[in-house]
Amino acid sequence: MTSWSLVLNSFRYYARSHIGTLLGVAVGAMVLVGALLVGESVRGSLRGMAEARLGKVELALPSNDRLFRAELAAQLQAYLGADTAALLQLPGVAKRPSGESRANNVVVMGVDDAFWKLALEQPKFTEIPEDSIVINERLAKQLNVEVGNSINLRVHNPSQLSRDAPMAPIEDSTASLAQMEVFAIVSDAQFGRFSLQASQVPPYNTFVPLSQLQDAIEKPGMANLMLAGKATKPSDDPLGQAQAALARHWQLADAQAQLLQLPGDKGIELRSPRVFIDPPLAKAALTVDTNASEVLTYFVNKIQIGERSTPYSMASALADFEPGTVWLNQWTADDLQAKVGDDVELSYYSVGTMRQLEERTGQFKVGGIIAMNDPRSDITLMPDFPGMTDSENCADWDTGFPMDLDAIRDKDEDYWDTYKGTPKAYISLATGQEIWSNRFGSLTAVRYAQNGSEAQDALGKQLLANITPTDAGLTFQPARSQAAASVNNAMDFGQLFMSFSFFLIAAAVMLISLLFQFTMEKRTRETGTLLAVGIPARRVRRMLLLEGGLIAIVGCIVGAVAGTFFAETLLNALSTNWKDAVASATLTYHSSSSAVGTGMSMGFFVALATIWWSLRKLKKQTARELLAGETQEQGNPKNTAKRSTIIGVVLILAALGSIGAVLADGGQMSPNSFYGAGAMLLLSGLALASARLKRLANAGALGQAESLSLRALGKRNAARRSRRSMATIGMLACGSFMIASIGVFQKDAETGADQPTSGTGGFELMGEASIAIVHDMNNPTNREDFYSIDEEALKDVSFVPFRLRDGDQANCLNLNLAQEPRLLGMRPETLAGRFSFIDTMDGLEPGDNPWSILESAREALKLPADVVPAIADQSVMMWALSGGDMMKSKKLGDTIDYTDEHGNPFKIQFVGQIADSIMQGNLIIPESDFIKRFPSESGYRVFLIDNPGERTDEVSDELNVALADHGFEWVSTTRRLGDLNAVQNTYLQTFQVLGGLGLLIGSLGLGVVVLRNVQERKSELALLRAVGFEKSAIKRFVLSEYLGLLVGGLLIGTMAAALAVLPTMLSPTADVPYSLLGATLGGVLLLAGVWTWIATNLSLRGNLLEGIQKD
Amino acid sequence: MAEDNAVVLRLDAVHKQYESADRDPVPVLKGITLTVNRGESIAIIGPSGSGKSTLLNILGSLDSPTNGSIQLDGQELAHLTEQDLASVRNKKIGFIFQSHHLLPQCSVLENVLVPTLAENGKAPAGAVERAKQLLDRVGLGHRLTHRPAQLSGGECQRVAVVRALINQPSLILADEPTGALDHSNAESLADLLVELNRDEKVTLIVVTHSTDLAARMGTTHQLQDGTFASNAA
Repeated sequence: MTSWSLVLNSFRYYARSHIGTLLGVAVGAMVLVGALLVGESVRGSLRGMAEARLGKVELALPSNDRLFRAELAAQLQAYLGADTAALLQLPGVAKRPSGESRANNVVVMGVDDAFWKLALEQPKFTEIPEDSIVINERLAKQLNVEVGNSINLRVHNPSQLSRDAPMAPIEDSTASLAQMEVFAIVSDAQFGRFSLQASQVPPYNTFVPLSQLQDAIEKPGMANLMLAGKATKPSDDPLGQAQAALARHWQLADAQAQLLQLPGDKGIELRSPRVFIDPPLAKAALTVDTNASEVLTYFVNKIQIGERSTPYSMASALADFEPGTVWLNQWTADDLQAKVGDDVELSYYSVGTMRQLEERTGQFKVGGIIAMNDPRSDITLMPDFPGMTDSENCADWDTGFPMDLDAIRDKDEDYWDTYKGTPKAYISLATGQEIWSNRFGSLTAVRYAQNGSEAQDALGKQLLANITPTDAGLTFQPARSQAAASVNNAMDFGQLFMSFSFFLIAAAVMLISLLFQFTMEKRTRETGTLLAVGIPARRVRRMLLLEGGLIAIVGCIVGAVAGTFFAETLLNALSTNWKDAVASATLTYHSSSSAVGTGMSMGFFVALATIWWSLRKLKKQTARELLAGETQEQGNPKNTAKRSTIIGVVLILAALGSIGAVLADGGQMSPNSFYGAGAMLLLSGLALASARLKRLANAGALGQAESLSLRALGKRNAARRSRRSMATIGMLACGSFMIASIGVFQKDAETGADQPTSGTGGFELMGEASIAIVHDMNNPTNREDFYSIDEEALKDVSFVPFRLRDGDQANCLNLNLAQEPRLLGMRPETLAGRFSFIDTMDGLEPGDNPWSILESAREALKLPADVVPAIADQSVMMWALSGGDMMKSKKLGDTIDYTDEHGNPFKIQFVGQIADSIMQGNLIIPESDFIKRFPSESGYRVFLIDNPGERTDEVSDELNVALADHGFEWVSTTRRLGDLNAVQNTYLQTFQVLGGLGLLIGSLGLGVVVLRNVQERKSELALLRAVGFEKSAIKRFVLSEYLGLLVGGLLIGTMAAALAVLPTMLSPTADVPYSLLGATLGGVLLLAGVWTWIATNLSLRGNLLEGIQKD
Repeated sequence: MAEDNAVVLRLDAVHKQYESADRDPVPVLKGITLTVNRGESIAIIGPSGSGKSTLLNILGSLDSPTNGSIQLDGQELAHLTEQDLASVRNKKIGFIFQSHHLLPQCSVLENVLVPTLAENGKAPAGAVERAKQLLDRVGLGHRLTHRPAQLSGGECQRVAVVRALINQPSLILADEPTGALDHSNAESLADLLVELNRDEKVTLIVVTHSTDLAARMGTTHQLQDGTFASNAA
């Protein structure tokens, strides 16, 4: 005989009594296990998606518009011993030739057989035949195509010379691949999901032969994305290993540079297909040979002396010339009848933001005339301007800006025929760099006074030794570890569902507590006996706790089994009714022993803690009391009733006072103040109910005797166990309050959508292009000239453009944690008065236009050069960048790490926070910083449209047609906001449903209380029967007193909730889910009523008089 | 010294009153003084509300006096902690209640052994043998594995008596031990108590309404309005 055997005996003997407690534990464990399994399933599904999208890829080298040799991949493969593949990945638009369906934001990838080797599962083919296309399942569905159908593609043509740069052509900004026959539709595992960006939504992927895509954009042999699998050579630093391999094998062509032997042994020249030499490359070029000559050749609109002018000419800036002078070649001097000392005006275009051309002029004096046979009259000084160099005639030039073709004379055409782009004017290098430098560079060539192929090779090696691949924008990224980080730090749905299930768990805890207490109360004499025979009180409590532990273990096992079904039910709901909560991601059930184990452990500890809490009052009871079967409640009811009344009254006054103060102040009916007042009313109601019960329990016999009635007796009976009664009232009131008032947080995108300070910013449309727009869309001439837009349709319409650096969506529509969020570059004046600022960083003065802090922050906060200020949505900072973990939320002043186009790390610092808006998902930085960090990201891809005429459909239709080649996706701002709000609204709905379920289970508690109370009062009820009351009357009497508790609890909760949600209910666009609320509260009322009725009948069945006979 | 060794229990001016929040304190015991020698058998009788059970609870350290002193085997109980009192109850006192208070989940043998778990949660060596002997002695040797629900009221009360004896206490306190039994079982239990008092030399204090049972005790004290009214040999 041991204490343990006594515990086991008790557990077995009282097994039936423990069933209720056990079920309570099982409900708690089921909820916890279920929630954790949902979390594990979401994580597992995201992990599966990440596996599918990356296949066997470990590292990736994306270079966007900076192209490198595709053969570099094969060279690295040999060196690293890893599978590698070179791709050409371009944004594009896909449509059926018939035009019946189209898809924007399509990712077009030129691939070869090496690519498919990196997929999780290799498709049956290895090569895609010419004129064929492979697409993924999502695109096939969107276009409604199958194998054998045809698709037309239009893709972005990456220009080495940025589209934002001066003289950048516009004609070849896109290329097309027509009548591509669908060769195969690949599954997710076959790289159908391939993407470097973490998202649960697969992109529209298309795959075409690499060589065909290279030919289509006229970049044979080039690629802009390299993938590498796991290296066979083990390394602690695979990223460093790959970067080292890159540095070993790369060539000048990969750095967008080339060395040319100039004709006539005039030296070797370094030039770039980007026209302007990247500053790091220029620096390296001058380091290699300090005697090298620098060249900056620019296109001038006009060389003018007085009334005479020469149109559209090349001009070079070289070190040989004096500042302030211009030397003309003989042809130009003749054309202008110029002589030394004449004043000359050079007109040229400078490209501003949104490719706004600004014609500027420079004043010079003629310093000399250069003969046409002078070595300085050099045809090779003109860089290879795409769209110009290969033109037959001046009239065919594609300079990217409007030209006055009438100004081109025959003699100008003759000059082009004879001398091509030989500069007509020469100025000093310093002056040239002062007026023509731009963010792309300040040199178009560097010349070395060396000749011959050996010298050329040596120079090439020296150049590569002085520049790193990172300088040229070639940096490997740890794709797999980034994917792992985004999944591992993704929104934890386990925690989310645990919080949604708060009331379910609370209901379970209440049931465990009530039922275990009741079981213990039945055994008070037994406990008293153990104490009386000298078993120490601590050991008695420990034995009872052990017995409770056994119940908890069995309950948790039952709960774990039920939890797996609960999880599957929740996942099913997340795939159907609650699909907005997971942005329509396809989730699959993932079993996890650790999730089950953790859920069971948590359930066990919750149950054990509750049981321990239930046992704590044993401490206060003596053996004598227990032997007498006493289970008295503690405390002086008189004092506590008084205290509760005071608290209740103070809270009511505070609730009314807070609303009165706001209204008297002429303030808005802020939802927060009403919610606070509602919460105070709830607590006040509970305090007053408690006071009432205690007062009834304490009612003096003399005072009550005169007014004694059966009804009064019933009320006093409800107060008999005031703590039990308050537990049920409290549960019902708090539950109904939370569930009814949570509706106040439902967000409606339509409310105030036309206000500039709303979440839509007062804009009507939001658009995102696959292929950037470089021109100012607010300029009607541009709209007509470049896009043939019907001006009438866009009358009074204004555009706010944003530059876009693609990255991970940092909003609630992305379940993964954004590693490098999307960046939007904008000019603060374009958003003046738009959206609502919640806060800005200390030290900044928002003034009339808080967006201006983006430009003032650098100086005001003395930001270091590697810090870029940013503004983001509250939800982005609070949730999206923290994976839903409040502890990791970003605050103003916090920074996140980012990498620029050249591979240089920099920090983005949050200096302002706006209320939730359509900008969610992006970090907004100043355009000036954007173009500095990402000079190759030309043009604008995101637009907000203000359309005062409310012709939203008409405008979007016109834009869809006119900008079709740019793959625009236009969406109304209210829909966009609605999509974002839908996630939060679905969370709230989920909370309401699970909370309602918890409340329904909690209502069981009322039944239990009735059952127990009536059991305790059996002799008293028997007395009523003995003195002549009908059994049915006694039933009614019992039922009415407990229904009073039920209705009281619900009334307190719903009245407080009504106050809390008053502003929302009064709002004309309120979207309060009355039906769901009505069904929930009605269901609770009905079910709790049924429990009470059943409990009353169960308690009063049989011969009541036996009770009194036994006594 | 020899006389002191003979004294098991000494009560000196013991008072007990119950406090109430809204009424005056209710006195129950008003200065009880009593000396009980080893091997004595005492009956305490009195009408309902006279304070019999309160006195017995105080004697058994289940309750504490408001004033006065209680010494058990020379040890002042008022100075002991709750844990020490539990130890005193376990080692020196055996309780027999009107209702047997057997644990329904335990067998007869286990019920008897329950007090032996107080020390370290395990019945000490020899306890089972002693329990069996005692149960044999009260005629329940054949009922060792039965549960209380399978026994008659008289049998249950005999098990409760054995449970009270298992730790060889110096004092047995019985509160209306025959109150829930029929005449025959009450007679039988009274025989058993007298026999144990005689053979085991255990001191016995019985609170009872039963004059028959009281008559079989060596001394009877009449409790009335919180004080001993008279003694009868």
